[in-house]
Amino acid sequence: MENIKKLILNTVKEAVIEEKQKLTVTVAYDKLHQLAKALYDNVELPFDVLVYLIGMDRGEELGVNYLLCSSKDLSKEIVLKTGTADRENPLLYSVTDLYETAHYNEREVFALLGIRFINNPDMRKFFLNADWVGYPLRKDYDPNPELNPVSIESKEIVDIAPRVMETADGKLVEDTVNIFGDDDYIINIGPQHPSTHGVMHFRTALDGEIVKKIDVHSGYIHRGIEKLSESLTYPQILHFTDRLDYLSANINRHGLCMAVEKAAEIEVPERAQYIRVIMDELTRIDSHLLAWSAMTNDLGATTAFIYGMREREIILDIFDKTCGGRLIINQNVIGGVMFDIYSEFQKDVKAFIPYMREKLKEYDRFFSHNVIALGRMIHIGKMSKEAAISYAVTGPAGRGSGWSCDIRKHIPYSLYNKVEFKEIIRTEGDSYARYLNRLDEIEESLHIIEQLIDNIPDGDVCAKVKPIIRLPEGEYYQRVEAAKGEFGVYIESRGEKNPYRLKFRSPSMALVSAMPLICKGEKISDFIGIGGSMDYVIPDIDR
Amino acid sequence: MVLNYSQPLEISNLTSWLDSTLRGNLSEFWALLIEFVLVAVVLLTAYAVIALILIYAERKITAFFQARYGPNRVGKWGLLQSVADMVKILLKEIVRINRSDRFLFFAAPFFMIIASMLTFGAIAFGKGLHAIDFNIGVLYVTAVSSLGIIGVLLAGWSSNNKYSMIGAMRSGAQFVSYELSAGFALMTIVVLAGTMQFSTMIEGQRYCWNIFNGHISSIIAFVIYLISGHAETNRGPFDLPEAESELTAGYHTEYSGLQFGFYYLAEYLNMFIIASIATTVFLGGYMPIQVHGWDGFNQIMAYIPTYVWFFGKTAVLIFLSLWVRWSFPRLRIDQLLNLEWKYLLPINLVNLLLMVILVLTGFTLTGLFPGLF
Amino acid sequence: MSSVSQYFSGLFTGIKSLMLGMSVTWKELWTKKVTQQYPENRGTLVISDRFRAELTMPHDENNEHACTACGICQMNCPNGTITVNSKMIETEDGKKKKILDTYQWDLGMCTFCNLCVLTCPSDAIKFENTFENAVFTRSKLMQQLNHEGSKLREKKKEPLIPKGE
Repeated sequence: MENIKKLILNTVKEAVIEEKQKLTVTVAYDKLHQLAKALYDNVELPFDVLVYLIGMDRGEELGVNYLLCSSKDLSKEIVLKTGTADRENPLLYSVTDLYETAHYNEREVFALLGIRFINNPDMRKFFLNADWVGYPLRKDYDPNPELNPVSIESKEIVDIAPRVMETADGKLVEDTVNIFGDDDYIINIGPQHPSTHGVMHFRTALDGEIVKKIDVHSGYIHRGIEKLSESLTYPQILHFTDRLDYLSANINRHGLCMAVEKAAEIEVPERAQYIRVIMDELTRIDSHLLAWSAMTNDLGATTAFIYGMREREIILDIFDKTCGGRLIINQNVIGGVMFDIYSEFQKDVKAFIPYMREKLKEYDRFFSHNVIALGRMIHIGKMSKEAAISYAVTGPAGRGSGWSCDIRKHIPYSLYNKVEFKEIIRTEGDSYARYLNRLDEIEESLHIIEQLIDNIPDGDVCAKVKPIIRLPEGEYYQRVEAAKGEFGVYIESRGEKNPYRLKFRSPSMALVSAMPLICKGEKISDFIGIGGSMDYVIPDIDR
Repeated sequence: MVLNYSQPLEISNLTSWLDSTLRGNLSEFWALLIEFVLVAVVLLTAYAVIALILIYAERKITAFFQARYGPNRVGKWGLLQSVADMVKILLKEIVRINRSDRFLFFAAPFFMIIASMLTFGAIAFGKGLHAIDFNIGVLYVTAVSSLGIIGVLLAGWSSNNKYSMIGAMRSGAQFVSYELSAGFALMTIVVLAGTMQFSTMIEGQRYCWNIFNGHISSIIAFVIYLISGHAETNRGPFDLPEAESELTAGYHTEYSGLQFGFYYLAEYLNMFIIASIATTVFLGGYMPIQVHGWDGFNQIMAYIPTYVWFFGKTAVLIFLSLWVRWSFPRLRIDQLLNLEWKYLLPINLVNLLLMVILVLTGFTLTGLFPGLF
Repeated sequence: MSSVSQYFSGLFTGIKSLMLGMSVTWKELWTKKVTQQYPENRGTLVISDRFRAELTMPHDENNEHACTACGICQMNCPNGTITVNSKMIETEDGKKKKILDTYQWDLGMCTFCNLCVLTCPSDAIKFENTFENAVFTRSKLMQQLNHEGSKLREKKKEPLIPKGE
């Protein structure tokens, strides 16, 4: 990393480099793009993945933290920080030209903090209506409901996107861009649609059956979890994580618990680690099964959907017996797990493993080689490796494009460096690769569980934790591999019992942001199928 | 049309008795009028009842394919479920759509239902249970059944809904393509049977069903007919016009209440019609299984009434259609057209030619073994 | 491969894959059905002991509970689901003492995160697996957990909730 430091100082002389949990570089707002570009172009170790883009109200200034890492080695990370003291008209430079994933994230930051990004091609608010008063994540936000009354009228969606562009001679120009042409045939897929897997709104311009352009409109079920968390204690925040991507509930919660445990230096007992990892992998199987089912249903095979749900039910029963919840399982707590495993747990899980293997074979015979299904998956929704990296598409979808992005392998946490498993990578980048990846990952998860299930050590399931947890001042990042991709937690603590800023990186947002790219030129039916193969969950986006 | 065996359970005994009584007591005009009305009432009732039974059967069989029980709350084993559904549909409000083409919107369901009813009338349900017996029966059936597509296209156009529009356009392309295959498959058998009249065709299959008689060629025609018939009824895996996961409900998205009920009914009836035409043309229609020379066996078979034979054979085909429907994912529009234009149609044309050769050279089963049949 | 043989091999592998799919559904047609027949199976239905459906406050045979009205559960609840109303009484020896008046729990707001149970210092509340909580009006979701006329029990006795649960 010494070379990187040199590179940073060579590019921007005034950069302030700190060695915190991560290498943190603070630069002035007009130098950030230059620095990011230099890091991006670094041949030896290109920092070409934008993991987080965190908008922050730091009190005096409004700023953004960027966590960059290298697509070759995800554990090589750099945090860039920048900010502006202008609270009336805050302007920062966009990095959308380097990292496509920044596009939606910057729009989110604009909606929630009011920072506009120069050179972002479409600076509409994400999540919020254009007429929303105030910026919710600012500390001086006025939550008075009278300012933003609940409306029962439908609101027009803005089609003319404002933006701020920098001309060649360095002047800033405010202009607008039309999202759709005047005579585009636009159909609304969502917000109420059987195949958007939640309350997602894709406005799709069609040319006959062919998708010309997609405009993603989200925020119908935005709950403001990040804002809510700022006024809650850490144990209280935990229950929100289950409600992000409810299919990776346990993994999300594991991520937040680890972030807090690391910050508060809590040692998690070995037994709790085992239970956590087994439950994580069961969660992953659960999520992949649902993804498989939902995808087959999207492609019109209702029967397959029911088979998948049937197998998933067994996992839910195990969850139910272990921790009293089926979907929202509330198992992890800070310091360990809430409930010890029940007496029959090992027996149930061991019975499930061979059963699931047999069913995987059945799925294979039933759907994986079906000539109709093949025609609807192979060469459909192609995403190149470069696109996957640029859009930060992780999980089975990213690995379907040939990008090795499994956090469990790159930055092993908990027990993942002790167990043996394969990272499933396919290079085709089409729907079929993503589809097969999921089925193979189920097999790998079974393999992981097999290695752990008989060796659960005795001992406590939860460390002694103070009733009120105060994290020392600082910034804490934690990245885990959720079922749909990389899930991340960022906590900025100022020594209080509640976080100053909490940010979740949702894998689904990256998946959705890639949809307009990979669906362009495909048929409308395939758009649905690709959506199934990407497997996004909306509450994860509308945090 | 007369079999040589006693058939005590036949309804034709009843109908001929009714006919002779009416004619004996009334002038011919009145007798015919009463008979027409009676036939119409019976057909309409049968139409509704068969649809209800089919809806129940489909839901139950689907459920069993999917490891579920299916309807089991209304009545014993859920037997009254479809009656309850029908009552619900009748009671539902008919929603008026803003800026829709009112007249066409209301007219569309009638096209659909009338087309399927016209076809329904020409089906031979059993001996003597055949309302109209044209000498061009096959032609008539293909002609009127294709009227239904007008209902679909009108519905899509008049609903003022983009989903409906896409669904209807898909349906148009699909119907035009598959009608071709279905027609050719039927023509293949017409070549074999040498008639277009259903009654003669059935009679000709007494000892040897058409599907066996034309062996290889017939079987190909049979499979093609089933596939294209399946596609014509807009049922999975060819349910693109409805495509629940893509277009919510396709061309009938905006319909509610009885109007939706018409589409629903027509869909199920079309499935039945396709199966019954396939039965009539390929599987000997209402004819019991008869073997040349085995009089005892033939007598036993003849005790089972012809309508039971007809519905039995049709049920097997309907089950097949359900089995296919619930096993496969939906095709995409280009896959659908590929299947028709690249596979079914060329195979069909070759097959037709093959059948002509078979018939001309006497290589049909009846031609090869004249003594057996 | 020539295009003709490709045409036919494509046709036949396609047909084979479809048959394979149909064989799976045929097999499933005869497998055991998995639908739960609720409410007919109410008698045999097994709900896991840990299932969190309803917050309860166990009372013993003398109508005594263990809640000291300390309010920690109320503080810890992320959604403001719990309201502990206490009152001051004067004990026989003249001391002032805070005791529980009403313990309100709003089922409609609860997210079943179990924090109240975890943090309760006197193990006075627990989640039960009685899951049939559907009601017709929202107001019925507001439940009072302590019984009419119940009292705080003395410390010495056996805990109401066995350890390890």
